[in-house]
Amino acid sequence: MPNTPTKYFGNLEYRNEDVIQFPSGIPAFEEEVSFLLVEAADRAPLQFLQSMRQTSLCFLALPILVVDSKYRLELSSEDLTSLGLATDRQPSIGTDIECMAVLVTPETGPPSVNLLAPIVINRRNRRGIQAIRADLTYSHQFKLAAAAVCL
Amino acid sequence: MLVIRRRAGETFLIGSDIQVELLEVGSTQVKLGITAPKNIPILRKEVHDTRRQNEAAAREMSTLELAQLARHFQK
Repeated sequence: MPNTPTKYFGNLEYRNEDVIQFPSGIPAFEEEVSFLLVEAADRAPLQFLQSMRQTSLCFLALPILVVDSKYRLELSSEDLTSLGLATDRQPSIGTDIECMAVLVTPETGPPSVNLLAPIVINRRNRRGIQAIRADLTYSHQFKLAAAAVCL
Repeated sequence: MLVIRRRAGETFLIGSDIQVELLEVGSTQVKLGITAPKNIPILRKEVHDTRRQNEAAAREMSTLELAQLARHFQK
């Protein structure tokens, strides 16, 4: 199995199907087009998007349904097309796609997730995008329950 | 917040370099044409906010912090 250096897990063996291609990168990191999706049992439900190009770049994320079990996707037809998905319906989370929210953990204050722009991965072709919504339904800075966090 | 009324085809200026023209008014959307110097970035707000969040999300975390974070979500 191939292996790659990672920010949090040392040198990690991986399966090719765990490498996700982000053809247009992700906003502010447009050159990063290849990420390894790491899910470690002892860190669940956290997910890690490790850049294949830059060891020091690893995003933390949470499955979107863990944050909001009623989350409603609203992918634009451009986003559906770039993922290689049918444009006549919204894909189903867990079946067609994986959907996760990027986690921000400030040094002080509660962590937040970006529900405005979920990471969406087509499970069949392992393509991903960060799909930015144009509506105002969800916050880009959704605070996770402050009381429960003790960092 | 300054509020101004404009019809399609009308224009306003921000400073003397940035010009915004209201090109089209639809029932749920308006179309704007913006003329500005090259060094002024123009981003949809949701893109700007997401870039900021991603930059913040990329910060270094210690192994200890990470373990605490994971434990928090496992509760």
